[in-house]
Amino acid sequence: MKNLKTQLGPVSIVGLALISVVATFTLDSYSLLVFTLCALAAVVGVGLNVLIGLSGQISFGHIAFYAIGAYISALMTLAGWPLWLAVPAAGLVAGAIGALLAIPALRVTGSYLAMITIAFSFVVHHSLIEWRDVTGGSNGLMGIPMPEFADVDPSILLALIATALMIAALAFYQRLHHSGWGKAMRAVKASEIAARSLGFNPVVSKTLAFALSALLTGLAGSLLAPLLMFINPESFPFSQSILFVLAVIVGGSGTLFGPVLGALLIVLVPELLSDFAEYRLLIFSVLLLVVLWIAPNGLLGTIARRWIKPTALTPPARIDTRRVADYLGNRTHRDGLHIRDIGIRFGGVQAAQQVSLHAPAGSITSIIGPNGAGKTTVLNMISGFYTPDSGQIELGRALAGLPAWKSARAGIARTYQTTQLFGEMSVLDNVLVAMQQGRLGLIFSRPSDAQRELALDLLALVGYRGAVNIPAEDLAHVDRRLVEIARALATAPAVLLLDEPAAGLSRRDTDALATLLKQLAGFGLTVILVEHDMALVMAVSERLLVLDAGKPITVGTPAEVQHDERVIAAYLGGTDYQATPRNKAWDGSHDARLYVKDLVIDYGAAPVVNKVDLVVNPGELVAILGANGAGKSSILQCLAGLHRASGGSILLDNENIEQASASSIAGQGLALVPEGRQVFPYLSVRDNLLLGSYSRRDAVDAEGEIEAILQRFPRLRDRIDSPAGLLSGGEQQMVAVGRGLMAKPKILLLDEPSLGLSPSMIGELYDALAALRDEGVTLLLVDQMANLALQVADRAYVLETGRVIKSGSAAQLREDSELAAAYLGEGVSA
Amino acid sequence: MSFRLPDVQRLLFPVAAAISLNLAVATSTQAAEPPIKVGLVAALSGQSAKSGEALTRGLTMAIDEVNAQGGVLGRPLELVRRDDESNPSKGMLAARELIQREKVTVLFGGLDTPVSLAIVPLANQLKVPFMGIWAAGTKITENGAADNYVFRVSAVDELVDEALVKYGADQGMKKPGMILINNPWGESNEAGFKRALEKRGLENAGVERIQDSDLDVVPQLTRLKNAGADTLLMVGNVGPSAQVVKSLDRMGWDVPVVSHWGPAGGRFGELAGPSASRVHFIQTYVFTEHNDAKGDALLAALKNAYPQIESLADVTPAVGIANAYDALHLSALAIENAGSTDGEAVRDGFYQITDYDGLIKDYRQPFTAQKHDALGPDDYVFAHFVGDQIVPLNP
Amino acid sequence: MFTAAIVTGLGLGSMYALLALGFHLTYVVSHTVNFAQGSAMMVGAVLGYTLCITWGLSLWLALPLTLLLSALYGLVIERWLVRPFHSRGSQAWLMATVAGGILVDNLALFTFGKEPRQFESSLLNLKVELFGNAIGALQLLIPLVGAAIALALFLVRRYTRLGKVLEACVQNPRAAMLMGINVNRVVAIAFAISTVFAAIAGLLIAPLFSVNAEMGMLFGLKAFAVAILGGIASAGGVFVAGLLFGLTEALVTLYFGSAFTQILTFALVILALAIRPNGLFGSQALVKV
Repeated sequence: MKNLKTQLGPVSIVGLALISVVATFTLDSYSLLVFTLCALAAVVGVGLNVLIGLSGQISFGHIAFYAIGAYISALMTLAGWPLWLAVPAAGLVAGAIGALLAIPALRVTGSYLAMITIAFSFVVHHSLIEWRDVTGGSNGLMGIPMPEFADVDPSILLALIATALMIAALAFYQRLHHSGWGKAMRAVKASEIAARSLGFNPVVSKTLAFALSALLTGLAGSLLAPLLMFINPESFPFSQSILFVLAVIVGGSGTLFGPVLGALLIVLVPELLSDFAEYRLLIFSVLLLVVLWIAPNGLLGTIARRWIKPTALTPPARIDTRRVADYLGNRTHRDGLHIRDIGIRFGGVQAAQQVSLHAPAGSITSIIGPNGAGKTTVLNMISGFYTPDSGQIELGRALAGLPAWKSARAGIARTYQTTQLFGEMSVLDNVLVAMQQGRLGLIFSRPSDAQRELALDLLALVGYRGAVNIPAEDLAHVDRRLVEIARALATAPAVLLLDEPAAGLSRRDTDALATLLKQLAGFGLTVILVEHDMALVMAVSERLLVLDAGKPITVGTPAEVQHDERVIAAYLGGTDYQATPRNKAWDGSHDARLYVKDLVIDYGAAPVVNKVDLVVNPGELVAILGANGAGKSSILQCLAGLHRASGGSILLDNENIEQASASSIAGQGLALVPEGRQVFPYLSVRDNLLLGSYSRRDAVDAEGEIEAILQRFPRLRDRIDSPAGLLSGGEQQMVAVGRGLMAKPKILLLDEPSLGLSPSMIGELYDALAALRDEGVTLLLVDQMANLALQVADRAYVLETGRVIKSGSAAQLREDSELAAAYLGEGVSA
Repeated sequence: MSFRLPDVQRLLFPVAAAISLNLAVATSTQAAEPPIKVGLVAALSGQSAKSGEALTRGLTMAIDEVNAQGGVLGRPLELVRRDDESNPSKGMLAARELIQREKVTVLFGGLDTPVSLAIVPLANQLKVPFMGIWAAGTKITENGAADNYVFRVSAVDELVDEALVKYGADQGMKKPGMILINNPWGESNEAGFKRALEKRGLENAGVERIQDSDLDVVPQLTRLKNAGADTLLMVGNVGPSAQVVKSLDRMGWDVPVVSHWGPAGGRFGELAGPSASRVHFIQTYVFTEHNDAKGDALLAALKNAYPQIESLADVTPAVGIANAYDALHLSALAIENAGSTDGEAVRDGFYQITDYDGLIKDYRQPFTAQKHDALGPDDYVFAHFVGDQIVPLNP
Repeated sequence: MFTAAIVTGLGLGSMYALLALGFHLTYVVSHTVNFAQGSAMMVGAVLGYTLCITWGLSLWLALPLTLLLSALYGLVIERWLVRPFHSRGSQAWLMATVAGGILVDNLALFTFGKEPRQFESSLLNLKVELFGNAIGALQLLIPLVGAAIALALFLVRRYTRLGKVLEACVQNPRAAMLMGINVNRVVAIAFAISTVFAAIAGLLIAPLFSVNAEMGMLFGLKAFAVAILGGIASAGGVFVAGLLFGLTEALVTLYFGSAFTQILTFALVILALAIRPNGLFGSQALVKV
């Protein structure tokens, strides 16, 4: 049963070969010509599929390779060389030119790459016209001999050769797809960043893809010449290039038979439409549009996703621990990782400075600190994505300054804040490609059984229980994190860097993660963890490095750090700051301004917010508290219409808004001051503020209202005409709040307003919030600085893993000792 | 034993006919006898679409006449058209389809010499007469095949070049400059011009090329002027030819222009402005206010069949219509002579045509085994634009 | 003659730049481009000819009507050829706009007609003396109009409310939504402006050239080259690249003949992009991990 499905590709290829051979001997000669042209277009399609489907690049220049192949074969056969020599020669020359074209093409992506290939096809086309002595100019080459073999009709012979080429191309593609080369290309396509951190050099795989693709196209072209017996530059119009790309995309890029289907579409369909004479192109373009509307991502892909479901293959329940230990233990450096005084600047910002750390083998070290403290920047420097301006990184040898793929090969593996799995590849392939450790191997090398079993063991080790032969993009959030860890392990690293692995994980999953991390350290790995989940951090870490604003605050054991005043201040907010409380407790209308019931939010997988109820009354300041990843920001984004809720209802002044678009919600009087300020950087402060009033329908007294904002935030007065992007973080936050206020909203939502601000700036900002509260503005506040938020709030909700676990008046919650625990992980067993 | 691709086009045909007002509908009601099909492979879309339209009109008018008189061998003629998109490989494919699937008896070719060159070996191999009615490439008929099935009722580049040089020389040309379209047509004429000039011992002021997309031809023309050109020999479609005239105006260079038939391919008078008349170009046929009886009849029939045709300015390009019209009548005679639709017999049928009073001329023994071109240097006329109309020049 | 070549080059170049600014506009608001942009230029010229000459409307009526219909064409492209794919995260808008361009070119072939027509302009016959060369007033007008429109675009973006809204969508579409800006509508407007630009280019170039159904194809491609060469996200870069491209073409034609124009200019494009992968005036975005 399993064999039937995995053998579907090869079996279909054999089937196609049989049908083609039968067709070759039975078709009338016109149909045979159409068939041969289809086969050649399919070869070009397969070639282009290597480029588009496997390596994720695009080329509108393939007609040029087709032409080059045809001209070389024509010139050689006209000069008396046999076709069997001319065909490979044409393929090789086209492939070599393809590799040359890859040099400029590699430096660019997207539209820029498209343009280079377009320009290339024009240069080739016009060179064929102007190089008259060789190419015969516009009048082309005539009398190209057809191949002769025994007494076979030459057109049948050509059809057979074309069939053979098509079958060979398909078999080649099938084999390449699963080989080390193919996996490397697909990995680079899916995520160049992740591929580099597995040790792959994208330059190599992209150049290979270009060369192979051009080679196949050149081979197809070399058969076109004897088939037509006459070629000139007009036989290779630019529009054909677009049709080739279209064939691959409409057929289904990255699928085995997509290009064959596409070839039928671009060769056979125009023939079927030939009776429409001058209206043929018109009707053909309409047909193309219809096909695109029906299946924008390819016919075959759409069909395959709907009907072909592989039998689930799952990792084993029992792990061969010894084998895993041998594999993971073989590269560890006893001395571990040394980091000395590294630092980096971006523009004017010192993102990290003087960071030092020694992480011995077999230990777990955590880097903690508030958002924007530079934790991920440090990981990026260690893994080679950023080159530090100063300092050393050593793992047996000096690593600072090496590109990411070399750092990876030296033994550094990592995961990402937002997972960077290779989405189209299966779970197993994600792990197997990592096992190549950046090597391509021989062209058709496939993973051995031992490697497959090891990969399954690694998946089992990290606790992944799902199917391994489904695309990684179909995985739930938790599973993505796990598979990403397994993939990093598959490179047999000495150092494993984990960037917020517990974000979005449930308590139980996090506890399992803790066990896993300890186990990995036990194998001798150096584990470095960036994490906000204090329960996890405190439970597993041997040592903590605390960063704030790019600078190390302290290094120490969990116990030391937990009682460090500076750390508490960085996390729970400056306890020295005292916001002005209300003169007397809030006592307004209980006719809810914002009423949220049973809100469920998900991002395609498990819900991140589950059945949350919230009420905000007019004039109230309500806070939502909770750790990172608890779902606070998701709720605000959902309320503002940036993300559609998957369940529940949201009422703003008794009107349902859960289905409305962000712009119409803004029009109804809900304003969000988003996380990270999100000012319009190149517009002046004044324009930013004015845009805030865009949604209002009443007359805006622009000058007067801006003056009011300036009085509230006097700092902005001097900056009113400078671009908002040049302001400091705190000033930008004021612009963002001011912009929200310009909408005269019924309710103002603030998402992490204190994030990344200096303590004095935070004080200024919270004074402004308190003033707004006292003026009767309705506010909903999310801030990870719980103490701060509770100082100004009337009421608060506490969120954990997407559920409200506590709610009450701010005064009650301020006295709650468990709240501090939720942030620093004290008292929670792991 | 032959297996055919699914015949979707048969299913689609009614739609096609309804859209394109295909003539088959008109003729199919006429006779119980199966029609004799003739094919046309020409550029029906894209830049050269106008040429395909003219050929279609010429053939259609002639077919209507033949069918009105009872058809050929008692069977009506039917035209089947294919678009070659000016691409030789598409043209070759279409020709094969017409010959093998539609079983056309005679195949007509379009404007592009390369497309015709791609079809020539096929026609000779499959023994189906291929009639060139526009493309003037010399090698189309002189293709070197022992068994030649390719005929032509159109100009021949080699002869046209000879005629143009002769015309120029008669007007006092000593050192012509060549301004040629950068495509196969221009290329083959370059060779022809050089041979014709060499024959007379004339030197030339150089060769310059123009593109369809050229906005300004002044640089090329200036180079010719500086090289001492006293006459321009021009080969180009109507658009680029008009650009040459406009650039000449801009330069203020008053030089005689002797041209291939490109300007007649459209509204040259409109495109080139008042100076259009300075260009003297070659034609095989010109419709005027007063034609002979045959010409007037055809003009009336055209106006009747195509309401878009309101004045003489709309009957463009006249050569396409006239060549197609005469070629179809000659082909009908050949089929009649052959007594069957067998390719070889029809080919010999062409040789047996003794006399046909056509639109362009009175054909006498137009084809022999050695002579596959019905028109020669004596059949060319020179003309120029006066306003929107083509007016013959009296030599 | 050198002066004439420069004038021609600037004229051509500013028309490339106008089309390319259209590519730029749609790109910055939606990261899509309209590959039917060339056909939009043809639509402008064809509509102008039809309204002005065939239907005999006065120029002052025909011109705004042409631009209005061209804007409508842009809206249709955005609504039917771009949004259905873009909103689903598919790249197929690329193919769809190409197919749309072919469709419109062919529709024009059967409605407007198969032969080129001349869009007369009295401005062309008005000669102006420049460094001893007689140059048609229109030829001088074209680069001026091109520059004026580019300047107008710049001023509108910088100083008007519509411009600010557009900028907001360019700089941060999510925040723009939070301001109550309907980003979809802004994208549609950008497409409309882009086709209007193309139509203006078509109308201006028509008297120098001729009006035909196929006139947009090559022009559109070259304009795309210009947009990329300039760095598609930079309006100023795109405009300068347009002028450079036009001048290069004119000078190559002047010294080598037009047969080599395309070989040389496109080879230069490849070379330029190999050296500056984000275009001559584009800048590299910081890669976030």
